[in-house]
Amino acid sequence: MSVRFAILGLLAQRPRHGYELRAAFEALVGGEENWDVKPAQIYTTLDRLEESGLVTEEAVEQEGGPEKRIYAITPAGRAELESWFATSVGSEHQRDEFFVKLMLSLAVDGANPYKVIQTQRAALYQRLHDVTLQRQRADPQTELAHILLLDKTVMHLEADLRWLDMVEARLDEVRRQPLPQPEVKPRGRPRRR
Amino acid sequence: MSVIRTENLTKIYGAGEAVVIALDHVNLRVEAGEFVAVMGPSGCGKSTLLHLIGGLDRPTEGRVLLDGTDIATLSDDRVTELRRRKVGFVFQFYNLIPVLSAVENAALPLTLDGVKPEEARRRAIEWLSRLGLGDRLSNRPDQLSGGQQQRVAIARALVAEPAIILADEPTGNLDSRASDEIAGLLKRISEEWGRAVLMVTHDPRIAAYADRIIFLKDGKVVDETRLDGKGSDEAGRVRAKIEVL
Repeated sequence: MSVRFAILGLLAQRPRHGYELRAAFEALVGGEENWDVKPAQIYTTLDRLEESGLVTEEAVEQEGGPEKRIYAITPAGRAELESWFATSVGSEHQRDEFFVKLMLSLAVDGANPYKVIQTQRAALYQRLHDVTLQRQRADPQTELAHILLLDKTVMHLEADLRWLDMVEARLDEVRRQPLPQPEVKPRGRPRRR
Repeated sequence: MSVIRTENLTKIYGAGEAVVIALDHVNLRVEAGEFVAVMGPSGCGKSTLLHLIGGLDRPTEGRVLLDGTDIATLSDDRVTELRRRKVGFVFQFYNLIPVLSAVENAALPLTLDGVKPEEARRRAIEWLSRLGLGDRLSNRPDQLSGGQQQRVAIARALVAEPAIILADEPTGNLDSRASDEIAGLLKRISEEWGRAVLMVTHDPRIAAYADRIIFLKDGKVVDETRLDGKGSDEAGRVRAKIEVL
């Protein structure tokens, strides 16, 4: 997802200035350490949204300090947001760097796939440990949204760890098969019989 | 000094063709204030390890040292005594006595050890209250949820103030919410109360509460990972406190 729809959604709540948008976005996605956006990215996106007529500059505030431009969503922006709500979001579970690394470690001399798995497992457990502690500290009375996001992370990490165990158990089997090969497509014009 | 230490711990069942090596030269240490999880596929030797450390079974080879005492040098009676004073067990199915109340169940190890009933009761109530069961003292196990029953079992494990808690799949029979509660409690038991906690589990989510995870396969330690938590400073302080005591 681009930050674009998040900005539209936040502006649909009420007009805001750039700094406020950035802070609101980071709070929403579970903190800066989880998903950080540079101020430049917010402002570039706002400029593009303005060019497309989805957002408009409502006012400029200046109380002694630097000027703050206040942005608001336009009717076209609301329509764009509605169509976002009406569509699904893709997942990228099958596009997996670790999978590629593991398969190549099976095929490359000197690489140790078991070690590759161990390294990954240790990192996943460390992450699961951190998220578990964060979740324990969160207050369900006021931070339920954040807790649900952490729960999602926990479930995915758990699945990744179980999958790792499964792969480790079958590593010798998969090693006996060649790496997935490209399909051989005949070149040139198909021959007629 | 490590509270739990094993040296080349080996357990072989059967003989001749039918020999099964359940545990194969396992060396591990658990310190006071440390929470360690043991993971591995079923039949990897996890439970055997726990039974040997708890003195419920004798090793074929190697030794177990609890607080520096080699349990192989002790008679069966002395092992039982050592276990009662130094080791608390937590099981998957709680193993509570159905006709006894929460307090009576939790007080049982003390009662069996000849502690006066008043004193046993007082100490059981103290632990049950710390574990959040202060308002369930006279309930029988069938009047408690699974998570609450397991908390009674944990109070029972702690009532004799053992240095070591051994937990065998403590969340194996609980839903995910109660599992998190119990895992969180085991973490507190190590962090706040300075016990050495060794837990066997097959659940990655529960293992992630630990300070360290040991992976067992075919009776051997195949991997080990230390989890650096933000709470590790706390554990360090507890350790320091215990050494002063």
